[in-house]
Amino acid sequence: MNLVLRGAAIAAVLHITPAVVLVKRPDAVQALLPGADAYVAREVHLSDPDAHRLHELVDWSPDDGVLTFYNGKAGATVVGALTFARVDTPHGPVEVAVGFTPQGAVRGVIVTKATVETKPWVLEAVGAGLVERYRGLKPGDVPAGAAVLAEHAGKLAVYIAGEVDKGVARALAAYGVFHNHVRA
Amino acid sequence: MLYDLGRADLRIKWLVTCLLATLGISYVFGALMVSLYAGFTPERVAATYAGHAMSMPMPPETTMVKEHPMSMLEFAKPEVHEVDTDLLIQDTHVHVPMYGLIAATLALVVAGLSLSQRWALGIITLLFSAPWLDFAGMWLTKFVSARFAAVTLIGGWAMGLGYLAVTALAIHQMWFRSRGVNR
Repeated sequence: MNLVLRGAAIAAVLHITPAVVLVKRPDAVQALLPGADAYVAREVHLSDPDAHRLHELVDWSPDDGVLTFYNGKAGATVVGALTFARVDTPHGPVEVAVGFTPQGAVRGVIVTKATVETKPWVLEAVGAGLVERYRGLKPGDVPAGAAVLAEHAGKLAVYIAGEVDKGVARALAAYGVFHNHVRA
Repeated sequence: MLYDLGRADLRIKWLVTCLLATLGISYVFGALMVSLYAGFTPERVAATYAGHAMSMPMPPETTMVKEHPMSMLEFAKPEVHEVDTDLLIQDTHVHVPMYGLIAATLALVVAGLSLSQRWALGIITLLFSAPWLDFAGMWLTKFVSARFAAVTLIGGWAMGLGYLAVTALAIHQMWFRSRGVNR
């Protein structure tokens, strides 16, 4: 009984595993907006119909109703944009940074946060080449990193790749529909 | 009373002591986690659970954009850990049953202590109502008003108080009161 109770007590502390920063935000920004020396945060405050529209597309809209993009410039040249997308999994949140070229294609994806529990799965998935699968995707494309990984990675890595796919899909949908189509 | 921790077998006393010590460790690390991700002030708790929703409660009629320059230093600023509705549902789903088990476990210890019925009932009520307040505060902060962050803080402190009260009474009655057997 003591063992059971001890286990329960430990589980009480561990069940929600704390977020682990895999890549710091400034490092992700520098990697996904290379050469940029000026940044602008573009906050898109969604109306109810637009939040609903986004929800229809990817079964998600931001809880606070705000999509935030970060645009980068090097002098007068636009380097691109990036956004951070969070996916809440039963094992805690996973955050991905998705960078876009000025032409609107995915320049790169970096998993910036995981949890103590999911970190090894993320590292395995990334080590198996997950994030390379997203390069060049454009709004309207469907990320399929998990399907590609299924043949040469463990089940948990494939599972978390599916969650990263969701994050990338959200970023693609948000960028495609709202980044350039709403005027400041 | 048949179940009296003060007169219990040495093995039972040791079991309860180990249990309380283990729960104590989990509470200490729980408090550390709270300090890392939510904080101990109403402002930080409100920022964690109410987030942007409190500063912009109504969505605009048409989608609008606000832009402002960002420096690299701002990207490096420590982020407020925000718990959105999905995460709060998940937290509630996982925490509340576990808090119930911990409260029940501590209540079983209380049942074995020499206390008046009124005190025992009071402590048992405290053990269960503290986590209720904790989570009620989170939900109310998110959906009603940031002022309810105080309820979460009261619930959290009440959990700590309940644990300390049970532990102090149990340790005293099991190990420091001279009427026990098998010491």
